[in-house]
Parts: sequence; structure tokens; C-alpha cells
Amino acid sequence: MLYGNWGKILEIDVKRKITRIVKPSEEIYDKFLGGRGLGVYLYTQYASPLNGYALSEGNPIIITTGPLTGTPVPTAGRAAMTSRSPLTGTIFTSSSGGISGASLKFTGYDALVIIGKSEKPVYIYISDNEIGIEDATALWGKNTIETTQNLKEKYSGYSSIISIGPAGENQVLFASVITDGARGFGRGGLGTVWGYKNIKALVIKKGRKKPRIKDKEKLKNVVYEANKSIKQNPVTSKALPELGSSFMLDVVYFDRALPVKNFSDNRFPTIDRIGSTALQEEIFENSISCWGCPISCGRICHDNEDKVSEGPEFETIWALGPNLGIDDLVFIQKANRLANEYGLDTISLGGVIAFAMEATERGILDFGVKFGEKEKIPDLIKKIAKNNGIGQDLKTGTGNLARKIGKKASYFAINVKGLELAAYDPRIIKGMAVGYATSNRGGCHLHGGYSAGSEILGLPRRVDPALQISKGTLVAKRQNDSAAVDSLIVCQFASMAVSLEIWSRILTAVSGKQYSAKRLSQIGERIHNLERIINLKLGFTRKDDSLPPKLIEEHLGEEKIELDVMLDEYYEFRGWSREGIPTEKKVLELELNNFL
Amino acid sequence: MKKVSPSIVQYFQKIGWASYIAGLQDTHSGNMSMRIGNRMLITRRGSMLGFLNDYDIIEISLEKNDSGVSLASSEIGIHRAIYRETNGLAIVHAHLINAVVLSLINDEIVPVDVEGSYTIRKVPVVSFEYGSGSREMEEEIPRHLKDNKIMVIKGHGAIAIGETMEEALFYNSVLENSCKIIVGINSLGKKADDFKPKNISEGW
Repeated sequence: MLYGNWGKILEIDVKRKITRIVKPSEEIYDKFLGGRGLGVYLYTQYASPLNGYALSEGNPIIITTGPLTGTPVPTAGRAAMTSRSPLTGTIFTSSSGGISGASLKFTGYDALVIIGKSEKPVYIYISDNEIGIEDATALWGKNTIETTQNLKEKYSGYSSIISIGPAGENQVLFASVITDGARGFGRGGLGTVWGYKNIKALVIKKGRKKPRIKDKEKLKNVVYEANKSIKQNPVTSKALPELGSSFMLDVVYFDRALPVKNFSDNRFPTIDRIGSTALQEEIFENSISCWGCPISCGRICHDNEDKVSEGPEFETIWALGPNLGIDDLVFIQKANRLANEYGLDTISLGGVIAFAMEATERGILDFGVKFGEKEKIPDLIKKIAKNNGIGQDLKTGTGNLARKIGKKASYFAINVKGLELAAYDPRIIKGMAVGYATSNRGGCHLHGGYSAGSEILGLPRRVDPALQISKGTLVAKRQNDSAAVDSLIVCQFASMAVSLEIWSRILTAVSGKQYSAKRLSQIGERIHNLERIINLKLGFTRKDDSLPPKLIEEHLGEEKIELDVMLDEYYEFRGWSREGIPTEKKVLELELNNFL
Repeated sequence: MKKVSPSIVQYFQKIGWASYIAGLQDTHSGNMSMRIGNRMLITRRGSMLGFLNDYDIIEISLEKNDSGVSLASSEIGIHRAIYRETNGLAIVHAHLINAVVLSLINDEIVPVDVEGSYTIRKVPVVSFEYGSGSREMEEEIPRHLKDNKIMVIKGHGAIAIGETMEEALFYNSVLENSCKIIVGINSLGKKADDFKPKNISEGW
């Protein structure tokens, strides 16, 4: 008998309007756990063909929970979503907090696999004894808040509503999927895939099926240890609960690593106007938690139209603030709210607007907007989401847009594999350079191993950010650990306090199988390598493990990034060839030979 | 054989000096290493960790021997086995006096102070017939470090892993302080065992 996972997956064909229950073998759960790992495995089974376009009928949408989801383990309420990204063309897993993961787990399924393409707009609803695919024509065109409210009224008692906004419907390549009008499967344009398939929403009724736990007494004791770690760590016990993730803005800026104006500078004299203190004093209304989370990093804030909504998070404040030359927090919160309503990834949104601003200021192409012109931003967001005017160009993301413009625009298009970079300048934090370059979903700080955790926050101990030797090794190891954490699924913030040793003891108690930190890390390595194998099949090579030329050539006064040196070390640690291909020995060691 | 970069030498000097000044080593004890790709940088056999020079840091493969093996720490086999079998990217081995005292009379060390309890929770003590550089140690030590950051070799000293040498050093330092506290409690005629955190005893 399986513990933690149910051993059941619900397959939903929106074209033929039929559903089917699939039961993967226990070996699959042992090898891939759940969450990101199970999602990537299922992608290899359902993508038809594997290298088909993201916006094609054969690209599945896979929503997964993990073996810890819905248990009393802290932060175990999350869900993951896997598909091929229309923005990056890579395999792509995005995860979301809120209540959707736990709600799905309580229905008795570990995962949903949505295949096919509906002819007309539909929404899906599921509970522990009902599944339906309903007409969503009346919802099409509504924003995520309106959609959520509409469905909540219709389905009273249904606990989680996941939806796309106009951006997903209009095929904006960085459209997100929003959970309960607040949290999001933010990155990579998975909302665009929903829109392409004419899926407007997913309604999940929290069921009554509580996950089976093998050793409840042991779990109680180890969860106590995990909570103790969370309560004793200053980041998870003070900074995040009291200030939200916005404290990172102050900290990253303090270490001179916060990019300003499309990574043109790292100085922003009015930073205090948008930092964590300003947020708490000027726009903060309340804090909010995801399901099962003792940290409560979420913020409810108001904007200049006196509307109250969730956010802004650190990355959003940066992307729509300093990266655009804007220091008005009330305005940033308004832009954040609009992005969530339209269903847009705020990091990519800020990235593409910053690119347009730099293109305008360089005289390469006039988008009619320059750094600091905040009053023009709401209209720009609307145009992108509605696919109007210059929004038709901006909706394609910085990589595609730069290629269309030509004229060396790619020089300052701040993305890797099409995904816009986050708020950590890799010229200052050298581990982030190799992390952005090698993340399997493009220039991502989280899937890039988040070396800033040790390079900036000193968790577990501080590593010199300027050091380049040893960073390839550190990042590869952290990517493995992170892939395991994303497959349990638990929050990366909690993992700043809770070590892999504790997570492994928790999984042992839940599953009844013996896990160690090393075994978890190896599972993460398998997942990361499978993602790499998929990306190689999709045409990616070492040359794509790169950074924007601007970040290589403009040094910010620091030592130049030696990306090739770090990549060589990274590949060597991973047991890959110099071309970045997993060797036969590594593939056999990780039991991935069936996926070649 | 080639010399390592100045920034790496400085890093080794910082960690080595800290371990010495904190009283975690005698003048010539201990060793430490960090993994870089499929190689490691390890301290030279007989080097004084508190006073390292560039020629005291040896670069060597994780798998194959080259001439560097003649200069590297005599416990290089244990370091290699740890990198092969565990999650560690760095290793610090230190001769902790109070930890050694407790290792002679206990099979595990459970810190009773807040810092120790939070950081290392419970530390296994393992006994070996040959207490230094043996094949048995190469097999057993990694097994314990798969799921613990630090362990104690009975009558010898502690060995810790981390993502960095600073992290591994930190676990040594925390353990030694925790052991001092336990020895102190016992010397006052109280039983340190009475102060063990309940959940660690039952859940770890």
C-alpha cells in the first residue's frame, strides 16, 4: 500500500469530454516522488509528440501534488503544474501556494492530466465523487477575480478555483494561471497553454480523503523539529512573517545586487520608498498564509484606487519598480493587481516593459515609454493582456521581440532561453550566473538552485558572492536538492530553515520507506537530468546555457563573469559531457535509460 | 600539480585559522577539503591548519590517484568516500577535546543547549578498530553522514560535511560547545541526560 500518495491520477480529455483513472506503478512514485518530478515523468508519457509545439493539442497540462501534500507537514499545501512552455520552448514546471494542492489531494487524486483541446471554452470541476466539464463561454473575457467570484457563487462549498484571465485567452506568451484570485502558477506562460486549449478554469471541491500516513507518532516528532527550525530561523520566524518577502528588496539592494533599469545599474537612491518598511507603513492591510503554513509571508495591500488585493511580493516590487525606474509603491501595487487580474507573470511583464524602455532610450525602436514613466504602465499592461497596439509585440516576451527587432536588440534582452531574469544580478552574485544559465526552465532563480540563499542570506552559511570557482558545483547540488523539495511539494521559503535531513525524516515517517538527505538529493538529480534530457530532445544545447550579452560585457565594476569556466565545472560535477549531455554512465546510474 | 588560485588559498587560511583559534585542533591535527566538479582541494598531510600556505592545498581527482596523493592528507580515502556517498560539498575534520571525552563513554551525543539542539540535534558516535584512515572507516563514515551533518569517531574527533567548509566548521564548533556544556553539567553532579529534548530523543 502507498502512503502519502494515493497512486491514482485523473486523466481529463477536454476534446472528447471523457475522463479516466490511471494508476502509475509504485516504482514511479519511488523514482519521482510527486510534484515537479511526477509532472516531468507524466509529460514524457503524455506529450504527443514529445517535441510537439507548446501551443498544440498534444501538449498536456499536468497538475500534481506530492507525498506530503495535505499532511500536517508545514507548507505542504502546494501544487505544481507541468507542460511545455510557449515562452521558452522548454519543459516547464511552475508551482503555486494557496489551497489548491491540499484541496486536490483530498479528492483522492495525486494529479490531473489534461489532454486534448476543447472546441469551445470550458471549465472543469472535480470533487471526491464528481467530475465535470462545463461550458465557459459566459466566463470568457472575464478577469481572474471576476471568474473566481462567479464560480464561487455557483459552486458554494468548492474550496479552490484556478483560472486564467484575458492574457491567457489572448495568447500572451507569459500568461499565468491564478489560484483563488491571488496566488499563481506564475512563470513560463502556462496560462497561454490553458487559453490555447480553451480551458478557462478548474474548480476543486475539497474532499474528505485524508492522505494515509505510515508512522503518525514519528511524523509528529519530526514535524515538531521542522516547526522548531522555522520558529528559530530569523528569516522564517521574523523577516517573512513580519515584512513579507519584500524584506529581500532591502537585503539584495544592500549587497548591491538589485538590478535597476533593465540591469543597467545597481544604484537606486530612493529604494526606501518601496522597501519593506514603506510597504508595512503605507499599503499593508493584513497578512495571509497558504494552507498549512506557519510562516504567513503573504501580504494583503491596497493601491491608489483603494482596491485591496494580495501582494506585492519581492520579485514583483522589483520588476515593476526599480527595474522600470519607478519608486512609487502604491502604483506598483496597482500594477501588480492589474497583472493578477489579467493573469500575467509580473517578472516577465516587468522584464519586457524594461526592455521596451531601453529600446526606446537607445533609439533602436520607439515604444513610447521611457524609464520612470509610471503613468503609462497601466495602459501598457492592458494592451499586452488584450493584445492591442504595441501589446501585440510586447506579449511575445523579450527574447522573441528582440529577434524580431534585430539591430542588436538581443544585447539588452534580459532573458535566458526566453525566460526573463529575476531580481538578482548575476554580475554580483556569481552563483546566480551559472544558475540562470543552467536552469531547465530558462533564466529562473528558483530552478537555478537559488544560490543567493547562501550568497546573500547566508543560509546555511554565507558563501562569498564574488567567488566563481566552486559555484558550478554548489549550484548543481542545490538544483538537485531543490528539485526534490519541489517534488514533495513544500515551500522553498520553509526550506531556508528546514534542512534536507529533516525533510527526509518527514518523508520516511509519511511513506514508511527509508529516505536520507542523500537519497532525496539523488531523486532530485534524476528529475533535473530527465528535464535536461527532454530539453536536449527539444533542441537545446550548451549554447543555450548562456546569459544576455549585456551582463557579460558590462561589469558593474566587478570581476567579469567567467561563465564557460563555471559551466565546465558544473557539467563535470553533473557527470555530463563538455557539450552538456548526460553521459551514458550518469544516465544508467539514475535509471533514466528508458527516456533516451 | 598546480597551485590553486589566491582566493581559494585565502578561503582555506580563513577556515583553518578559525578552527585553530577556536581550539578545535591541536597544532597539527585535522584536515579539510572542498569539492569542485569531480576534483577536490584538500589540505596537505602534516600541515598546520592555523598557518596554511599555498603549497598546503592539494588538488586531486575524486577517483584517480596522481602524484598529489603522496602529499594529500592521509585521510583522503575517507574524504573521497564521503563525496561519493553523501550530499556534502565540503568536509572539516577536527580533534574536538570535549567531544572525544564524551565519545569514550557514549554511543551518541545529544546536545542539551539551544544552539546545539537546533543545529545538530543528535550526533552518532562510531567506534573503529583502527582509528585513522582505515578501509572500515571509508565504508562506515559516509553511511552516517548520509543523514547527519556531523559524526564523532570514538576517541578520535569529529567529521562534518556542508555545502561549504565554513558550514562544516560551524558544525564542529557547535558540537564542541555543546559537549563542553554537557561535561560542565556532569561535573556539577547533575545528569545532562535529564535535559535532553524529548522530541529529538523519540523522533530523530
